[in-house]
Amino acid sequence: MSAPRRNLPFRFIGKRILQAVLTILGIAIINFFLLQLAPGDAAEALAGEAGTADAGYLANLRREFGLDRPLWEQLATFLMRIATFNLGYSFRYGETISTLILSRLPATLLLMATSIVIALVIGILFGVTAARYFNRLPDRLISLVALLFYATPPFWIGLMMILVFSVWLGWAPTGGMRDITAPDGGIAGVFDIARHLALPALTQAFFYLAIYTRLVRAGMLEVLSLDYIRVARAKGISEQRVAYRHALRNAVLPLVTVVGTNIGGFLGGAVLTETVFSWPGIGRLMFDAMLQRDLNLLLSILVLSSVFVVIANLAVDLIYPVINPTVELR
Amino acid sequence: MSAPLLSIADLKVRIRGNPQARLLRGVSLSIDRGETLAVVGESGCGKSLTSLAVMGLLPDGLEKSGGVIRFDGADLPVTDNEAMRKVRGRRIGMVFQEPMAALNPVFSIGDQVAEVIHEHEAVSHAAAMARVVDLLTQVQLPEPARIIHEYPHRLSGGQRQRVVIAMALACRPDLLIADEPTTALDVTVQAQIMRLLHDLQDDMGIAILLITHNLGLVAQMADRVAVMYAGRKVEEATTRMLFAAPQHPYTRGLLAATPRPGRRRPGEPPLTEIPGVVPAITEMPSGCRFRPRCMLASDICALEDPPFVDGVACHRAVSRELVP
Ligand SMILES: Nc1ncnc2c1ncn2[C@@H]1O[C@H](COP(=O)(O)OP(=O)(O)O)[C@@H](O)[C@H]1O
Ligand SMILES: [Mg+2]
Repeated sequence: MSAPRRNLPFRFIGKRILQAVLTILGIAIINFFLLQLAPGDAAEALAGEAGTADAGYLANLRREFGLDRPLWEQLATFLMRIATFNLGYSFRYGETISTLILSRLPATLLLMATSIVIALVIGILFGVTAARYFNRLPDRLISLVALLFYATPPFWIGLMMILVFSVWLGWAPTGGMRDITAPDGGIAGVFDIARHLALPALTQAFFYLAIYTRLVRAGMLEVLSLDYIRVARAKGISEQRVAYRHALRNAVLPLVTVVGTNIGGFLGGAVLTETVFSWPGIGRLMFDAMLQRDLNLLLSILVLSSVFVVIANLAVDLIYPVINPTVELR
Repeated sequence: MSAPLLSIADLKVRIRGNPQARLLRGVSLSIDRGETLAVVGESGCGKSLTSLAVMGLLPDGLEKSGGVIRFDGADLPVTDNEAMRKVRGRRIGMVFQEPMAALNPVFSIGDQVAEVIHEHEAVSHAAAMARVVDLLTQVQLPEPARIIHEYPHRLSGGQRQRVVIAMALACRPDLLIADEPTTALDVTVQAQIMRLLHDLQDDMGIAILLITHNLGLVAQMADRVAVMYAGRKVEEATTRMLFAAPQHPYTRGLLAATPRPGRRRPGEPPLTEIPGVVPAITEMPSGCRFRPRCMLASDICALEDPPFVDGVACHRAVSRELVP
């Protein structure tokens, strides 16, 4: 297909970036107050672990963390930090928050990319096939499988995967991202990570797969009945090409939206999978931060998530008109 | 005389698994090379199904339950999709009723027309595109070199129908099936498109199967006319004969309901509608299906579906009435 000649949508992007900054600011402020509502703080959690409830010790910790300052001052500090990309320090981990997040981000991105690609490939294949064999055996089987995946909680799928593929068959490790004994780089290193990645990625993929299959099937059913599909057939092109070229491209827009949402929501969305498989990603970091009332860390991750969502949405909006030229950027 | 280019004999189409739902009840048509055959009849009489059956593109849920379709001296394997792919777009081109919906919104005009060339001929992309520009010129689209980069939503209905025609003619087929090609267009555009088809036919020598319910178009374009009613052919004649001496009461009804531009003389009867509507497929009357709407109906019409003899299927046809 020859590329459409259109001006780069600079105005559109400028407007959207402004919107994005405001959105993220709003989300940051709301999250800040929401977390204030939650009972307990980092000092209490730490003190609890240390086994003391000594008031002086608590007050000391609070002063050290800045938790004794007035709320508005804490908020201002927090916002300033975000604005300067200096997210501060996690007292739990004894590391700067940016170091923590950066060290966990690759694992999450790898899990996300792999699971979404798997879900997309299989989901499109399933959805297209189901629509082409509407109400016949392949459609019924695929719809049943999709329904099962949809109705089964991902953590349960994860546990079953571990049971079957790790415990019984011994094909894959039960958790983690790499063996301690495995080499750091090279083919062997990549292979080691792939082995660890397989089960969590599949688990997460199954969760998306169900949704993608249903979306593609519904979209294809609608498009396949349209006039231009009959016109395409009247040209003598193959059914394969009619389905994957002429129909799919028109049926795929809702899928793009949902994939965008999934990518945007991934930082928080993979908590269960990362926990079940002890995958060292952001989701687990967030989960731990919550348990430990490490509000600084938690807030930083939440804000990062919102940045992710906003970027994913912007990407979706930019991809739309590339896929379907009747959509115009506004 | 040589064999016709396309001959349809006793074509039957029904709803799959439902022998009662006979949508086409033995349609027979034939077209010679370079000829134009018009098929007319009210909406729902089976015109589109006839043409789709020829293309092997019957909708899901319908099946051909009888009849033979021959094309260029050989049986047309209409139920074999892979074999039909070599016919569609290459030997038989098709133009549909709804130009607004006929083009894929996500591909450029150039790509959509070039696709049919690539499908049937081994040519480079550049060569195909050059041919697309020629074709668009032939169908009289302005600025073809620009239009190949446009997307369908930027074109008007008339322009889109020209693109569809270009697509149908890209591989120089022997037969063009045009299923109500101008019904969705406004009158001036209608006339332009029909003139275009007429000119292209002169240039390329293609045969045209023109499906329409517009008898005005028939008079301009067709060599012969077949009239269909409720799934079968009820009359066939040369265009001149049909207009001069319609046999079937239904044909006469159609003609009486058709305005003839600029030819209404004083004393000519006003336009009259055929009373009633086509019965639903499940409520077809016994005998002749036109009987409930026919002013000439008599007892025999309820007993037996009239056979097609001497160009008409009617117990009370004019020619027969004249015979003592
Ligand atoms: N997919 C289908 N399923 C069931 N009936 C159909 C289908 N397509 C067409 N028909 C019926 O077949 C008859 C002929 O339709 P068609 O050939 O489209 O008529 P037209 O002469 O207007 O082109 C109509 O009664 C229509 O209701
Ligand atoms: Mg029709």
